[in-house]
Amino acid sequence: MRLSETNKAWLLLLPAFLFLLLPLYGLLSALWSSLTVNGAFSLSVYQQLMERDAFWGSLFYSLRIAIIATLLSLGFGLVFTRTFTHYLNKTSGKLAAWIPMLFPHFVWGYLVLLLFQQSGFISYMAFQIGIIESREAFPILTNDKNGFGMIITYMGKEIPFVILMLLPIYAQQNSQYHDLVRTLGGNRWHRFKDAEWPWVYPVLLETGVILFSFIFSAYEIPYLLGATFPEMISILTYDWFYAGDWSERPLAFAAMIFTSVIIGIIAWIGFSLMNRKRWLLTKGSR
Amino acid sequence: MQYKPRMKTASFWFLTGSLFLFPVLFLIVKSFTLPWRYQADFHMHFTLRGWSTLLSENQLISATFISLLIGAVVVLLNLIIGLSAGKALAFYQFKGKSIMDTLFLLPLIFPLLAIAMGVHIAMIRLGLADSWIGVVLIHLVPTIPYSIKILRNGYVSLGSAMLEQSTSLGANVRSRFLTIELPLLKPALRSTIFLTFVISLSQYVITAIIGGGNVVTLAMVYFPFLQSASSTVLAAFSIWFALVPILFYLIVEIILCFLPYQSPWRIKT
Amino acid sequence: MKKSGLVGFIVFIFLLSACSQGQSQQSNPNDLSWDEIKQQADGTTVNIHMWGGDEGINQYMDEWVAPRLKEQYNITLERVPMDTQNILQKLQSEKQAGKKDGTIDIVWVNGENFKNAKENGLLYGPFRDQLPNFNDYYDQDSLAFQYDFGTPTEGYEAPWGKVQFVFQYDSNKISNPPKSFDELQSWINENPGKFTYPNPDDFSGNAFLRQLLYATVDDPKEIIEEPFSNEYATKKAEPMWEYLRTIKPDLWRNGEHYPASLTELDRLYSQGDVWMTMGYNEARAEHLIEQGVFPESTRSFVMEPGSLGNTHFLAIPFNSSNKSGAMAAINFLLSPDAQYKKLEPTYWGDNTPISVDKLPEEQQKKFESLDRGETVLSTERLENSFLPEADSGYVEWIKENWKDEIIRNQ
Repeated sequence: MRLSETNKAWLLLLPAFLFLLLPLYGLLSALWSSLTVNGAFSLSVYQQLMERDAFWGSLFYSLRIAIIATLLSLGFGLVFTRTFTHYLNKTSGKLAAWIPMLFPHFVWGYLVLLLFQQSGFISYMAFQIGIIESREAFPILTNDKNGFGMIITYMGKEIPFVILMLLPIYAQQNSQYHDLVRTLGGNRWHRFKDAEWPWVYPVLLETGVILFSFIFSAYEIPYLLGATFPEMISILTYDWFYAGDWSERPLAFAAMIFTSVIIGIIAWIGFSLMNRKRWLLTKGSR
Repeated sequence: MQYKPRMKTASFWFLTGSLFLFPVLFLIVKSFTLPWRYQADFHMHFTLRGWSTLLSENQLISATFISLLIGAVVVLLNLIIGLSAGKALAFYQFKGKSIMDTLFLLPLIFPLLAIAMGVHIAMIRLGLADSWIGVVLIHLVPTIPYSIKILRNGYVSLGSAMLEQSTSLGANVRSRFLTIELPLLKPALRSTIFLTFVISLSQYVITAIIGGGNVVTLAMVYFPFLQSASSTVLAAFSIWFALVPILFYLIVEIILCFLPYQSPWRIKT
Repeated sequence: MKKSGLVGFIVFIFLLSACSQGQSQQSNPNDLSWDEIKQQADGTTVNIHMWGGDEGINQYMDEWVAPRLKEQYNITLERVPMDTQNILQKLQSEKQAGKKDGTIDIVWVNGENFKNAKENGLLYGPFRDQLPNFNDYYDQDSLAFQYDFGTPTEGYEAPWGKVQFVFQYDSNKISNPPKSFDELQSWINENPGKFTYPNPDDFSGNAFLRQLLYATVDDPKEIIEEPFSNEYATKKAEPMWEYLRTIKPDLWRNGEHYPASLTELDRLYSQGDVWMTMGYNEARAEHLIEQGVFPESTRSFVMEPGSLGNTHFLAIPFNSSNKSGAMAAINFLLSPDAQYKKLEPTYWGDNTPISVDKLPEEQQKKFESLDRGETVLSTERLENSFLPEADSGYVEWIKENWKDEIIRNQ
């Protein structure tokens, strides 16, 4: 029996579909709890959610932090990978750059705290050398309202991830493209734009979507390094989730669903743009 | 590419050194010293206390082994699902592809805790709760999105022409997969294996809920200590925690050597 | 390869899941005599799930309790590190799914968690009054055992230990610690940036506020004895919010950020950022000094009108597969020997809820002459300042209102 192309694709996707049952089941049961009040269908939980100022405040704050941390990680990761492809290809270089991935986010956050807080290592060194007179003179960089501590932690953890995602492209980069652009008289910018960017851009976009989703919804780092106020949305939902007698759980579920849908839509738009581009790439062989 | 290679080497090691290696060295020093105080004269008090606390933890060794085993099964399933789905997404065009992409991202967007809670009830009914299989399955949730993305990118940069060529030369699906796809995907495979193992290793809440304490992984032993105010103990535990993926990585590298047409430790460019 | 792999995988899962079923149910220990219970418990394994973040507590369970339990009752004790919240979450799901053969035999609970567990039917009981050690050595009528944060215990949990809320300070930096919240206020004013308290979402931060609530009403009895209602709490809490707003500008970081956990506050204290810390365990400084976290000059103090105290308990989940074993193990944990070892600073230093005057004379002396360490206040001082916990409704109420009162609207 010959399978058609589309059927072949669906067959290959079958294991992944089976897997998807797990998160979808979880999502649907959460949706169910947020939509039923005393056994009857109701949107009142969502109405309640929309009326909470704390929810909106946290939502926009989380968006801001997640976008900044994502963009910085992508930028630094890209520059680092394309500058140092040669070194990263060696085992020693790769291991060195991947080291932060060995540690859970929490530990990396704790390290940032030990280094950057007012009584941390950097402040202490500055104090010893005589740059600052007391720890209070050291700027507040952790648990700060601008989220510096969180952003620097995410950068430390995510830049290696960006490298991990981009390295295969640069490692397999076809140098003929570079040469082609060069012989046609392209400068360095042209070489980047025409010979690299088309391959890098989809992966970068995709990595960005992954990072953004993760940072937006992660709990550990905001707990350790976030300010008391404003707080990340994950902290807010977690508090609702575990509140005393579990009575605020529907609210927590509603917040999770609402934010997931927003991120989902953004991601879907991103993927639609990307898939068209990428399809042309795969077919045009390299 | 060839200009000022020495400068470049120096700056590479300076950057990785200060951004990635220094914090780890700092952590190692911390694990051997009592918490430092902010005072005029600099003191470091050497102690083995952090390490002795770590090693006196009854379940440390068994938990480490369980984590290695669970991680290995999680990685294997990730490769099966990731390779097939990655290939489909890379080489076939079909309707709803972007929706598929978004769905595969879902486990990262929607809080794991809520997913685990919903799935837990289903798993109890199926008899999968409190067992290592249940834990393996729930560990797939935070890992699969990564492996699908990474392996798909791997296939994309391979290009479909290469595969078509080999088919027209008469290779069957199986030998094509073993002799062409796998070796060429090695960088992507390596990333997938490493990343999914690390993610699986550090899952605490979902392991606790689904494993129900019957499956004591390293995270179950380690995470409660994150609440310790002692930087010494915390540092020692963290280093142990980071050594496990390195061990796993080494085992995998040895296995990867046996892939056909590959000299060990090198990536074909 | 992929297809066969997938089929194999599914078959594999179902085969293995089939194996994990089964395990017979014991008869209900409610109808049994203690001897029969002991007999049933003989040779079994008991799983105790408890928070695992303190090496002292872990070692007490693993190194002292487990071998003796094996020796005396022939019970194998398995300690599983797990947060109470997750334990209750697991039990709740198992209840929903109708799982009868649970894996947890003993849980360590109190306060809100107990209330939650009891109200959702997650606990087995009553079992407490069947325990010989409880009947022999504990004060049956004590209010501390009948109520847990205002929730009637009704024999669903047995008292394991008790703790009091104390403050710690560095005696090298402070010679006379404050004696009342008024004095604390002036101290904070004179030493700006050297005091803070954990965010009330944290257990200890919340206890600090409850203590302050007692201090800012005319008489703590107004809070302890009156039933909880939102209106009553709102009315009574105004002076507390006023107090917090007054000290806020002089707190660490001008009161703009509060430690998210007690651990964070302890770290600040250990590095000398702040000069006081606090916690719900009068002996906690002993271990932290020994670990080199707290400076050796750390001492503790309590303030007027008193120090909050509570009891922590052991309970049995509704679906424990070894209820008799659990009861035997709990009985052992309540025994004078186990309680004495727990009180010693070697492992844990946790106070005992036992009635010392009910013990044989020799053991009475042992308990009375025990030195709990230099940082621990005298038994007399602690007992005189003891204040019971009010309704657990206040915990949640404080959590919900603190941010609005202190942080957001300022």
